[in-house]
Amino acid sequence: MAYGNNNHDTMYRNNGEEIFVIDGHVHLWDATEDNIKHDGGEEFIQCFYDYHTTFTPEDRQWDISEYRKYGADRMVEDLFANAATDMAIFQPTYLTDFYTEGFNTTEQNAELATEHPERFILNGTFDPRDGEDGLEYLEKLHDEYEIPGVKLYTAEWRGDSKGWRLDDEEAFEFLEKCQELGIENIHAHKGPTIRPLNRDAFDVKDVDDAASSFPELNFVVEHVGLPRLDDFCWIAAQENNVYGGLAVAAPFAQNRPGKFSEIMSELLWWLGEDRVLFGSDYALWNPDWLVGEVLEAELTQEHRAEYGVEWDLETKRKVMGENAAELYDIDIEAKRQAFQDDEISQQFGLEDHYASEEPAAADD
Amino acid sequence: MTAQTSDGPTRAAVRDRLDRVTDPELDRSIVDLEYIDSIEIDGGRVSVTFTLPTAWCSPAFAWMMAVDARDEIESLPAVETARITLTEHMHETEINRGVNERLSFAEAFPDADGDVEAVRGELDEKARVARQYDAVETLLEAGLHAEAIVDLRLRDLEVADPGANTARADSTETATDDTIAIYAHDRSFAVSVPAAPLERYLEKARETTLVTDPDERLFRTPEGEPIPLESFDLVRRRGRLAQVNMSSQGGICDGLREAREGRLEETADD
Repeated sequence: MAYGNNNHDTMYRNNGEEIFVIDGHVHLWDATEDNIKHDGGEEFIQCFYDYHTTFTPEDRQWDISEYRKYGADRMVEDLFANAATDMAIFQPTYLTDFYTEGFNTTEQNAELATEHPERFILNGTFDPRDGEDGLEYLEKLHDEYEIPGVKLYTAEWRGDSKGWRLDDEEAFEFLEKCQELGIENIHAHKGPTIRPLNRDAFDVKDVDDAASSFPELNFVVEHVGLPRLDDFCWIAAQENNVYGGLAVAAPFAQNRPGKFSEIMSELLWWLGEDRVLFGSDYALWNPDWLVGEVLEAELTQEHRAEYGVEWDLETKRKVMGENAAELYDIDIEAKRQAFQDDEISQQFGLEDHYASEEPAAADD
Repeated sequence: MTAQTSDGPTRAAVRDRLDRVTDPELDRSIVDLEYIDSIEIDGGRVSVTFTLPTAWCSPAFAWMMAVDARDEIESLPAVETARITLTEHMHETEINRGVNERLSFAEAFPDADGDVEAVRGELDEKARVARQYDAVETLLEAGLHAEAIVDLRLRDLEVADPGANTARADSTETATDDTIAIYAHDRSFAVSVPAAPLERYLEKARETTLVTDPDERLFRTPEGEPIPLESFDLVRRRGRLAQVNMSSQGGICDGLREAREGRLEETADD
């Protein structure tokens, strides 16, 4: 267990150039046995753990008990002290049918996010099947936390419902509400098909209509639609308010570098360097090794020639931080100044890292 | 089939049938993917056990593989019945019962809303697009230009053994050194290319009933339309993308399978 090891500078330097890292996808979850009320809850965390072990270097793997619940203190240390992460965006996963208190709800994440508002962005959620109550809940999240975005699970089962679509009439009502409240960033989980559906639970085609109907909102397709990368890229190529979140694709850098090169080349070819966002999906994968792996990854000569794209410093800066900063109105330079003496920097002795930074030279 | 016993199929024949069953999401043979755990032959009764990379693999896809394995094996004249057993899957009970009692997916999963044919069709379509990429690359390498390729019809292909296409269900796979003749530019000249990528493409193009008539255009956009010349490069890109999608998902599945096997070995060591 490498917890506490400091492998990288807290400010990531790539050939001497610093890169501001915003992790676009993190969770603070509780999958302890006490919190599980349905077999699905146990199956769910075991499934996550399979993904964790599959794409984590052997000496960095957690055991299942620490994976069930790691707590706020460890999360802060993993992200900001042990990893080169500067900021992170909470994406809630409710699963209240499986977990008594929920898996990681907005309220649960808020405990840590409100403690360090300068470091965390707190997103909420909605489910159009909740109707009027759901709209009220969305307003409540807005009033209480000023959430700038939502994370959505279109494949979540509820009662007789086997999921919903972003282009449903009811979903449009919620998207209208988001627009009205200024909740601009819509993160849709589109990942592997898990539950017994006769149809494709994570079909991405519903994003198309929603994105063209709500041009002022940004639609971030998490897990870049894998295993629907083809449909996702095709839609994103036509809708310029559709973005790709790298969670799940990122850890390929570690043990499937050729695949990572290929996926990244496709994304950069279809979406361009301004619409791809890094995310670790912590604690699925720990940024304390993942950030370094992704930044040190290279595109193969073959892919660079075939696609004509580069994973160079400028692109890395955008994907690792600037693109998320754009969506969430984060002023990176102001943040660098603020982090010279914020609570986290004081706690982990990071003041020098930020204080010694020269303002980033414009690289154009 | 020299080793065939008087009342049952050979193991090789069963394996050959199973080799034609693909994981619909990856478009790769379930034999190549090492999903098959065991094949048992008892006269005309064949039992096959298989395991997927995780207990959470889509039940719909698991169902398709189980049904296809059953039907492929039962198409052997020497087989009376095939019994399929999926193991270590969260829905193995429903799937095994459904497949062996010959229920429909909707009957096996009353809480699902309908059948699997639509998603099967969609995955076949993706496989067709990915296979088209290889076929088109083969033609480009042979020196054909985009203009000629988008204009090709089914009748412009001439397989060395004309019966091979239709008879393939009962014959062995295309040998790797087989070639196919392509007549281009109103049949004014022919090029000879490796048959395998074209055969693989045609198999899916037929399954998706996209190309059946000899006069129909051979290659299509992902939406199934003839390819306008100006879209040739974009369609190529989309074919490449379909391949990358499948092989990426394959990378995830491979990894999950390795992790699961590692864990099972550890448990066995305890």
